[in-house]
Amino acid sequence: MTPRVETAALGLGVLGAALGAWSLAAATLPLPDYYLPPPTAVLGALTDLTAKGILPTYVARSLERILLAAVTGLLVGVPIGLVLGMSGRVSQFCYPLLNFFQSVSGIAWLPLMLVWFGFGERTILVAVNYTVLFPLIFNTLLGVRSVPRLYVNALRTMGAPRWRIVTDVLVPGALPGIATGLRLGLAYGWRALIAAEMLVGAQGLGYMIFNAQSFHQTARIMLGMGMIGVLWVVLDYFLLRPLEDATIARWGLVQR
Amino acid sequence: MPPKIALRGLRHEYVNPFTRERVLALDGLDLEVGAGEFLTVVGPSGCGKSTLLGILAGLIPPTRGAVLVDGRAVTGPGRDRGVVFQEFAILPWRTVERNIAHGLEIQGVPRAERAATVRRFVELVGLTGFERKYPHELSGGMRQRVAVARTLAANPEVMLMDEPFASVDAQTRITLQEELNAIAQATGKTILFVTHNVEEAVFLGDRCCVLSRRPGRVKALVRVDIPRARRTWTLFTSDPSFGATKDHVLRLVREEVGGEESRP
Amino acid sequence: MTRMAATLRGAAPFAALVLVWALVTRAGLVPPLFLPPPGDVARAAWEMARDGSLWVNTLASLGRVLLGLAAGVPLAVALGVVVGLNRRLAPVVEPVIGFFNALSGIAWLPLAITWFGLGWWSVTFIMFNTIFFLVFFNTLVGVRTVPRIFEHAVRTMGGSRRHVILQVLIPGALPSIVTGIRMSIGFGWRAVIAAEMIATSTGLGFLIFNAANFHQSDAILVGIAVIGVLWLLTDRLVLQPLERRTIERWGLVSTAP
Repeated sequence: MTPRVETAALGLGVLGAALGAWSLAAATLPLPDYYLPPPTAVLGALTDLTAKGILPTYVARSLERILLAAVTGLLVGVPIGLVLGMSGRVSQFCYPLLNFFQSVSGIAWLPLMLVWFGFGERTILVAVNYTVLFPLIFNTLLGVRSVPRLYVNALRTMGAPRWRIVTDVLVPGALPGIATGLRLGLAYGWRALIAAEMLVGAQGLGYMIFNAQSFHQTARIMLGMGMIGVLWVVLDYFLLRPLEDATIARWGLVQR
Repeated sequence: MPPKIALRGLRHEYVNPFTRERVLALDGLDLEVGAGEFLTVVGPSGCGKSTLLGILAGLIPPTRGAVLVDGRAVTGPGRDRGVVFQEFAILPWRTVERNIAHGLEIQGVPRAERAATVRRFVELVGLTGFERKYPHELSGGMRQRVAVARTLAANPEVMLMDEPFASVDAQTRITLQEELNAIAQATGKTILFVTHNVEEAVFLGDRCCVLSRRPGRVKALVRVDIPRARRTWTLFTSDPSFGATKDHVLRLVREEVGGEESRP
Repeated sequence: MTRMAATLRGAAPFAALVLVWALVTRAGLVPPLFLPPPGDVARAAWEMARDGSLWVNTLASLGRVLLGLAAGVPLAVALGVVVGLNRRLAPVVEPVIGFFNALSGIAWLPLAITWFGLGWWSVTFIMFNTIFFLVFFNTLVGVRTVPRIFEHAVRTMGGSRRHVILQVLIPGALPSIVTGIRMSIGFGWRAVIAAEMIATSTGLGFLIFNAANFHQSDAILVGIAVIGVLWLLTDRLVLQPLERRTIERWGLVSTAP
């Protein structure tokens, strides 16, 4: 057996064993039913909620929100980070502020947003957008600062005007930083989104699993958790990695 | 007819912003370079060679002194003085051909003409077949060829080269030197070439400028009387007058390194 | 630059921020309910410090973070090393843990509440699993990506498997592990704050959420400031020195994502 096949076989074996152990535990442990539903119950919840259209709706809502935050973060955060990064003095001044605001996640601002906007969509959006925005600004700034002065000098000795230095050197050079910022921002943002959906009670995966808890619908909780994990993998695979591959991996700036 | 490059009373001091330490890199340096001349600059480590180049390039404003190109003062970097940096300043996010084309892009040269020029220089530096590669896919020697091609393609009047072959292996270095020699002959550009390698300096230069140890001053200007068309490495290693010039310059440099008796 | 000067340098931007804040509220650009002036917030902070609510809640949150760390880190590192050493098991486990990594934190809260009910158990569990999966993953990856050549070097000097593990694999994995710990504290803090809003009646998360119910914007801002300061302090006083003393001192670079 080739190593690949062996790993796949082992993987399937482990998966099978895990599912088997789970089913066994669900059937035999002296706990109320709702503590540990068997895998079949989770599967049942999947088919049930999909058929009812609830799952697709909730998934779509959560995805919409995070993608909106990603786009806003890129369109707003990257230019701000670029501009701030271009001046050493300004960067040094803003660094502690950005660090602070990045570490106070959007969720911490949620209560204040509740005072401002009440329990509604806007509250969720502000919290999530904030969470994605600051890592992008911060890391874009760091990215710009990290561009070797050498490249800037090379362009100057070719008589390049300032705007060319920005487009030809600073932006591409800052891309690794931007990629980091996006990855970090989305990682924090996705989690903030789930938390916000739990707190504000709007349609979405966070709301789904939180609501399911009050009705002891543990299979739904597990289903929702699975979806949350899967969606992050999807975001990583179809959004973040292609972006990184098309740019910084291609230029040899990141080892994969 | 004014010399192409004139440096008068050039003095440069570095001040460390944190410790307030002052280091005098150049002190009263006077130098003139004629149009079409290939001047090499050698000296012991720390003698200010790179500072000199940086000042000429317009990247470092000198503490005092006049820096004139074609009789006009240098106020900043510009496309009249192209620089080949020691540390491969080609952009990692551009392919070979786009890097070489960069100077032309900046000058607004139309696409068709750009492509033709780039093709010519790719061939000149021997990188045919590698046009679409990114720098990280190339060896050190190849990257430096891209850097040289880029500066050449941008066609500056003056070429400033800062130890361009220092981080390249010995075999490649010899090849690059011979290529540069051919290019200098063909284009007749004014070239100022900084190196710590005495053999390289003598092989390439019409004149060899020896700098004193820090603070740098012109210690000697040694003429290399071999016609450029005849210069090859085999000649260099066999011709006695080439060898004598080399020994002469080496002795001058070693005097500046100081403390060592120059052995015959 | 002297320590004093550096600290002032660091504080200046915040001073400027407070100044702008004061001016904005003084000019009446924003209703005080939405953004209370710095003075009100300072007063609220004083009140909360005096009646003890500030300390109780801060300590509650800190306690959960520390407990989660204390439980999570040793277990995660131990398991990560054990699995990482097993060449067959590692490639199978890695994607699984990677998946759970993506899932860690607040998403576990409803399940935690189902199992442990409301209260500090659930919140601490959230912290624990955030730390656990991330550090496990990083340790695993760290052990697996130690360059083989170091292992060969020790082997060709007659080193045993034990030597390889103790002298090559664990130190080699250290940058990954430390990075993992640093990142997971970042994620963990956030998860704890969020969990406290939902599942308990103590802690900074609860404090600010509760204040929202009473429209006490000044108390909210006090809470937010404390959260930010605590995180910055943790990072500056604990994590960075930790990284400096291990990774940076050895000139290593992390290979973890």
